[in-house]
Amino acid sequence: MAQIIKPDLNFVKEVIKSGGQDLKKCYQCSTCTVVCNVTQDKKPFPRKEMLYAQWGLKDKLFSSPDIWLCHQCSDCTAYCPRGAKPGEVLGAIRRLAIKEHSWPGFLGGLVNSPLYLILLLAVPVIILLIGANGNPLNPDSIPRGEDGSIVYAKFMPVNTVIDPIFIAAAAFAVISFVIGIKKYWNTLKSGGYEPKSASLSSTFISTLKEILLHKQFSKCNVTKTRTYAHLLTFYAFVGLAITTTWAVIYLYGWELLGIQPFSVFHFGESPYPMTDPLKIFANISALALITGITLVVLFRLINSPKAGIGSYFDWLLITVIYIIAATGILSEVLRLLNVASLAYPVYFIHLTFVFFLFAYAPFSKMAHMVYRTVAMVFARHNGIVSKELITERQAS
Amino acid sequence: MSDNKTLLVIGGGFSGLTAGIEAAEAGYNAVIVEKSPYLGGRVAQLNKYFPKLCPPLCGLEINMRRIKTNPNITFYTMAEVERVTGSPGAYDVTIKLRPRYVNERCTGCNACAEACPEERPDEFNFGLSKTKAAYLPFDQAFPFQYVIDDKYCKGPSCGKCKEACKYDAIDLNMKPKTINLKAGAIVLATGWNPYDANRIDNLGFGRVKNVITNMMTERLAAQNGPTKGKILRPSDGKPVETIGFVQCAGSRDENHLQFCSYICCMASMKQALYLWEQNPDAKVYIFYIDIRTPGRYEQFFWKVKDNPNATLIKGKVARVAQAPDSDDVIVEAEDMLSGELIRQRVDMLVLATGMEPSAKTARPSVPLTFNEHGFAVPDDKGILAAGCAKNPFDVAKSVQDATGAALKAIQRIVGGR
Repeated sequence: MAQIIKPDLNFVKEVIKSGGQDLKKCYQCSTCTVVCNVTQDKKPFPRKEMLYAQWGLKDKLFSSPDIWLCHQCSDCTAYCPRGAKPGEVLGAIRRLAIKEHSWPGFLGGLVNSPLYLILLLAVPVIILLIGANGNPLNPDSIPRGEDGSIVYAKFMPVNTVIDPIFIAAAAFAVISFVIGIKKYWNTLKSGGYEPKSASLSSTFISTLKEILLHKQFSKCNVTKTRTYAHLLTFYAFVGLAITTTWAVIYLYGWELLGIQPFSVFHFGESPYPMTDPLKIFANISALALITGITLVVLFRLINSPKAGIGSYFDWLLITVIYIIAATGILSEVLRLLNVASLAYPVYFIHLTFVFFLFAYAPFSKMAHMVYRTVAMVFARHNGIVSKELITERQAS
Repeated sequence: MSDNKTLLVIGGGFSGLTAGIEAAEAGYNAVIVEKSPYLGGRVAQLNKYFPKLCPPLCGLEINMRRIKTNPNITFYTMAEVERVTGSPGAYDVTIKLRPRYVNERCTGCNACAEACPEERPDEFNFGLSKTKAAYLPFDQAFPFQYVIDDKYCKGPSCGKCKEACKYDAIDLNMKPKTINLKAGAIVLATGWNPYDANRIDNLGFGRVKNVITNMMTERLAAQNGPTKGKILRPSDGKPVETIGFVQCAGSRDENHLQFCSYICCMASMKQALYLWEQNPDAKVYIFYIDIRTPGRYEQFFWKVKDNPNATLIKGKVARVAQAPDSDDVIVEAEDMLSGELIRQRVDMLVLATGMEPSAKTARPSVPLTFNEHGFAVPDDKGILAAGCAKNPFDVAKSVQDATGAALKAIQRIVGGR
């Protein structure tokens, strides 16, 4: 059974450049695969991925969902006798998988390189400056509320500025993701798997359950703490998504439904008082996000001697989320304290990075939520199940 | 009887004995300093040598005879070099002797051990058995002289051994002694220790029953070992019918020993033959990254590989657990040739641990350079090194190396260089 191997040497270089710099140290002992708690019995990872990556077998790597079934627990990295850091290598391969399948392709290249960071930031800065009512650095140029208070909606009008810009950014991200998912699904199908499960919808539901509970993630050993940080960050995002939907209902929904504001619920334009349930929910979500992302950073630093420090790709997303959470909370605090000279610039930065997160999500590490979900659905659909851990009787 | 024509050998294992004896037989004085109570070192613990499977005690016996019949050789057991000053051609050496509490009048009659009420783990058998605090290190120990372990002995307040000794060979008040001597050259032959398997936390040693090391297996297979040579698993004494070997256990691993110890592959295959000798139907599973059988040892590999009861699995074991229903051991590895995870149940699992140079944990007090792993790196002028203090070697290579070291030492003595 002869097999002609077509190594893609450029791909090897890209993996090495993207955070897999120790790839070539691997000597194929398969300690990694055995210490992994989330791998599977039949075609376990990441030993084979290390070999494919060393040989530049890009198609083999991308056409299997395995790279996304890895949660980068780094148990493999901690036990690797060679310091080849399989966890980091698989992270690099995932990064390249996003780059390969995202559309339009050139943006993937830009988001992956620190060289273009300024350019990418310039896009929302310019758009927002054009839309802004006044100069964020000159508070006097910005209209105030009736009592002289800071009202961000007067700086960035919701109907005419915020909505068009962010709906456009989100729409772009959705379209890009849909194209990306389609491309990726086709790549996966080329891997020669045979569907075993009955329906895609049932596998999707079981995948969703997995995501909500982080069951696989919590099997991690060396970096167990990461699970909690990720879970908190994840639910903070869910909370903020609910907040956004809720805010849209406040803004437009009550008019459509013909309901008047009642009790603690305040409809119409922001800002809402601190006692409004929307406000309370939003603030809790924001605090969850800043706590979650702080823990992410903290655990990454604590785990780095065993797990590696991560790549530009990882830290870009972490930094963006951190800035969004910090500037979001600061914007509210500065508004309440009426410190106009700082409030407007901070709010402007906040919007810039929210745009960054949304518009570039299909190309940044944020895309992991989509690609990982797709791969998990594909894996379930094709009957790939994670290995059962040995149940051990304690030696007495 | 020490002078600048004397060779000092630190370590009385096979390398040290060889260096000392060879120099003495060339007409020079040799002083051998050994830390433990007996000569022979790790070799004395081995059941058989590879590849010929002959007993090491035979070779040791020949060397002991060479020592006994050669007036040029002095040896000290329970001794350690405390200080070395001077330079090649003229060293001043201080040696500290720990008390044995038993003098040369000992006939090895065992009366003291019978009388002794205290027990100690037998380190010669890696804790697989116990001895009394008054004990003989092993049957054929040289010097054939009992020793009292003062960590476990209650001292003169007990004195039962002294009462039992008919030869007045026991002195429980014996004190440490210091001696000074001169030497023209020094050979360091401090050898190795088995790598501490407790430090390999994923291979179950000390946590899972019936996980032992390769050196423990030597003792289990040895006639003078804890099971009289029957390979029985430690937890319940069941004869071993299936055995697993974990190659590179803590070797070639940057978290443990970074180097290959050269002997472990051969040792595991040799131990497979021990088992087949007792039970030809025993199933042997060897988990490896690469089987390393240097040079002509390749033929030994064929011999094992071709046995129908041998299964060689390419894939390192990285998870070991106790079976849920018995004292069996479950071994997890990836069979890389099929690409599937496998779980093998075995009666006993042997970790093929490597050689950690003794100097890694107990740095000898000599002016000599050691590398990051603890191996001696002698230069072309000063103190010499031989055997596993310098490199992981098998016995044959250690002997060759030590013979070479003896010649170098003579050159230092003669030429003062």
